[in-house]
Amino acid sequence: MRRMRAWCMRFAALFRKEHHDRELAEELESHLQMRIEDNLRAGMEPEEARRQALIKLGGIDQAKEKYRDRRGIPLFDALLQDVRYGLRILRKNPGFASVVILTLALGIGPNTAIFSMVNSMLLRPLPVADPTRIVEPFIQQRGSSLQQEFSVPDYRDIESESSDAFSGFMAQRELVDGLGLNGKAERVMDLYVTGNFFSLLGIKPALGRFILPSEGERVLADPVMVLSYSYWKTRFGGELDIVGKIVSIDGQPVTVVGVAPEGFFGVSAWANIQGYLPLGMAPISGADPNDFMTDRGYRAVTILGRLRPGTNLRQAEASLTVTAERLSKDHATEDAGLRLPLFPEPSTRLGDPRTGTPLLVSGLFFGLAALVLLLACMNLANILMMHATVRQREMAVRSALGAGRGRLIRQLLTEGALLALASGFAGITLGWLASSAASSVHVETDLPLRLDFSFDWRVLTYALVSTLIVGVIVGVAPAIQVSRGNLSSILHESGRSTTGSGERVRSALVVAQVGGSLMLLIVAGLFTHSLSQAERSNLGFDPNYVINFTMDPLLTGSHRSQGTSYIKNLLDRLRVSPGVVSATTAFSAPMSYMTIGDALTISGYERPSGQPPPRVRYNMISSDYFETMRIVLTKGRSFTDADDDSADHVAIVNEAFAKRYWPGQDPIGRTFKMASDPQHTARVIGVAADVRYQDVTSPIDPYFYVPFLQRAWDDSWETVQIRTARSPETMIPELEHVLASIAPGQPVWDVQTMNQALYTLPGLLIFQAGAGLAAFLGAIGLILTIVGVYGVNSYAASQKTREIGIRMALGARPAEIRKMILRRGILTVCIGLIVGLAAAFAAARVIGRFLIVPPTDPPTYLIVSVVLALVALVACYIPARRAMRVDPMVALRHE
Amino acid sequence: MGEKPDVWQGTLSVMVLKTLETMGPLHGYGIARRIEQTSGNLLSVNYGTLYPSLLKLEQEGYIASEWGVSDNNRKAKYYRLTQAGRKQLKREAREWEQATSILARFLSPGEKSS
Repeated sequence: MRRMRAWCMRFAALFRKEHHDRELAEELESHLQMRIEDNLRAGMEPEEARRQALIKLGGIDQAKEKYRDRRGIPLFDALLQDVRYGLRILRKNPGFASVVILTLALGIGPNTAIFSMVNSMLLRPLPVADPTRIVEPFIQQRGSSLQQEFSVPDYRDIESESSDAFSGFMAQRELVDGLGLNGKAERVMDLYVTGNFFSLLGIKPALGRFILPSEGERVLADPVMVLSYSYWKTRFGGELDIVGKIVSIDGQPVTVVGVAPEGFFGVSAWANIQGYLPLGMAPISGADPNDFMTDRGYRAVTILGRLRPGTNLRQAEASLTVTAERLSKDHATEDAGLRLPLFPEPSTRLGDPRTGTPLLVSGLFFGLAALVLLLACMNLANILMMHATVRQREMAVRSALGAGRGRLIRQLLTEGALLALASGFAGITLGWLASSAASSVHVETDLPLRLDFSFDWRVLTYALVSTLIVGVIVGVAPAIQVSRGNLSSILHESGRSTTGSGERVRSALVVAQVGGSLMLLIVAGLFTHSLSQAERSNLGFDPNYVINFTMDPLLTGSHRSQGTSYIKNLLDRLRVSPGVVSATTAFSAPMSYMTIGDALTISGYERPSGQPPPRVRYNMISSDYFETMRIVLTKGRSFTDADDDSADHVAIVNEAFAKRYWPGQDPIGRTFKMASDPQHTARVIGVAADVRYQDVTSPIDPYFYVPFLQRAWDDSWETVQIRTARSPETMIPELEHVLASIAPGQPVWDVQTMNQALYTLPGLLIFQAGAGLAAFLGAIGLILTIVGVYGVNSYAASQKTREIGIRMALGARPAEIRKMILRRGILTVCIGLIVGLAAAFAAARVIGRFLIVPPTDPPTYLIVSVVLALVALVACYIPARRAMRVDPMVALRHE
Repeated sequence: MGEKPDVWQGTLSVMVLKTLETMGPLHGYGIARRIEQTSGNLLSVNYGTLYPSLLKLEQEGYIASEWGVSDNNRKAKYYRLTQAGRKQLKREAREWEQATSILARFLSPGEKSS
């Protein structure tokens, strides 16, 4: 207690030092005077009285020093002193300080930015209670890939049979709807959820109530909805009497019963859900058939479970296995060979959790960013070693004046920490700027995608820890050098000699820098080359001169027949508009986020026993589709307007479809049945060339087309695609004008060129982001390398000034001097290039599956190596040329 | 003069507290003089020991200080005992008595334990 009080007072005394010093001086002075007076009274002479008093009382300065030590906290005082001194040193060498800070900031900034992306994609937990216990089961059946969607009956069985390990399961279905208010429809992303959704997540409504457990069990029985907080704020202005208000969802009246809490965006890390409805309401949008709640073959919902406290993933999976075995026995048609692997929620965010794609992608970019940081640190080590040589004399003088070695090292560490702190601050600012730029990347869609790379404590911790590590490196490197230094040899020599080992270390640093940046640049080059390849070819359609826009006549409440005739009408009027070559409608455009697939029964194709029927993606199109997209029909005919609901159902398959299901046979005239439309059999009338609809790297899957006039269910999602005669960018405003006149009041979204529409997550966005990120890191790496190579060489040249002077005085010609300096530089750069090529080969093999060009793509390797070699040569040449110009007389008198 | 021993570390604070208890508020010089006199001029108190010790006692809250004017009109800092100081003095005095009586038992020649 007393001790605490004493420390508090000592801490307080660190401030107002001058005041305390003055008081002490006054006190000691009065003490001295009183002693003198007493001595005088005792009969001494004034001189003698003063002398005796001074002897008696001891050294005033020592007393003051002792008093000060007791008054403040000596260690802290020394630290303050170090900091003040360090700041002065840095202020005196602004060039040195800014180079160090900039170098480190360039290393820490990208690292922090990339970590913030990885953090938001993979690490940040869902905004729910106890998020670590949220898990997601998948479906695995023999012969097919891991599948995320379940049928509602399967979900119900899992929910009721696995309660020993789980607190519960919730099912949800994500759908795009039109939310109408005062006659104006707006597209929203809705989540249709089971009644236990909110209670299982453990969140509380901001307003009103959530969906009740009793709601959503029966189809279309509970027309209620919960709004997301942000949508309530933006669309409804945050009005408090929202509860009880009636809005329309796809033309049907629905009552708003509550508002979700702020910051809750749903259970998918990517989408920003705007409204929540009971699962049973899903058919309202026409996306699901009315019997979807009871059809075991219709897999449309995703499932999340919450582990019971004290249950681990393995136990939970074992419990699911029992259910899976029961299901595959009792429902052999749909669930043959069913297994239910279970994953923690964050690992499922980037698709298939087992292929390790998220880990690989994030690991790749982490690796590149770490490489940049490493390059920065190597540069820094270089700079600091040179700086320390320069300061060796200062250190020697200080230690000759009585500074202990520990004190000197502490001083250097303090300076290192100061530098690291400043660069950490600069780096974090840089990273924050970069990641806010990445957050506002325009993803080419009006769908509410969530790209929130904002900083949180994880990012800041990461940045601080990396700053700390860097700071220790920055401080320790020169400190080691100082502790090795021999006082008298440094003071006697001029402090200019270089030792052989120092030179070797510097050469090794150059090799590592050149190698590292070559690898970075090659990876960047491979991505960039892949991107341009993907844009130019191998898509199977011609994205140039095409404008897309999306609309949904049902959103404004029209019926299906009205919707199709509306679209037919619209297309007819568009076709005759000036500048339009052809116009078509499709359900989904290539690389779009909207896709649809169905399970097929294919005539003449025997599926292996124990395998579910194949699921194939398809498109619903109008007659001009292949002409507009410039997709080649290799066999048969295209659709016509005569292929409507009253005619026989027809289909066109792609070549992959024909090859997989009817190998070596003529597909024309063959038939298949879609699970969602068992009444009709589709007859194949044509074969289309393979087209990339989703992702640009993997082999093209089977795919088929049906006429939009024959579609099985009540959806009217339409992507209208128009081939134009003139540049599509300039035609967009004209087209919007035409649309406003022929379809007034009809909301239209995603008006963009087909080329823009390719930049989506399933499309080229990954490549664009990869190329951009790698190029950004590569550029930083290149700058660091130039600075490093140049710095090392010019330092080496300046160290040899004396040697050069002697050689020249003895008759060496300038060209020979240049050669001498250059040779060493070129040798190290060449070794660096070889190391870099080897590293790049290794890295390219890892990222091979994200590339379109082969990982050993010769042009990329060649061009990047040549460019880097040239740049490095220039960085070697300039110091060599300077060395050549040395005046021998000046050089010899240098010291 | 110079051969006079300095005060032993640890005992000075007791002496200061005791001095302030008997003499009332006193300045640094007064305390030093009083200690020297009480010790029969066997002890010498210099700045370097006295003032850090006073500071420590003040930080611990056993004494308090304020500026005042001395008998011969000189500005001086006066120290006085606080309530906590009084208690501390009692405690320390008891400890010292105990310690010295134990030591005395060891050092007195005649007595032997049977």
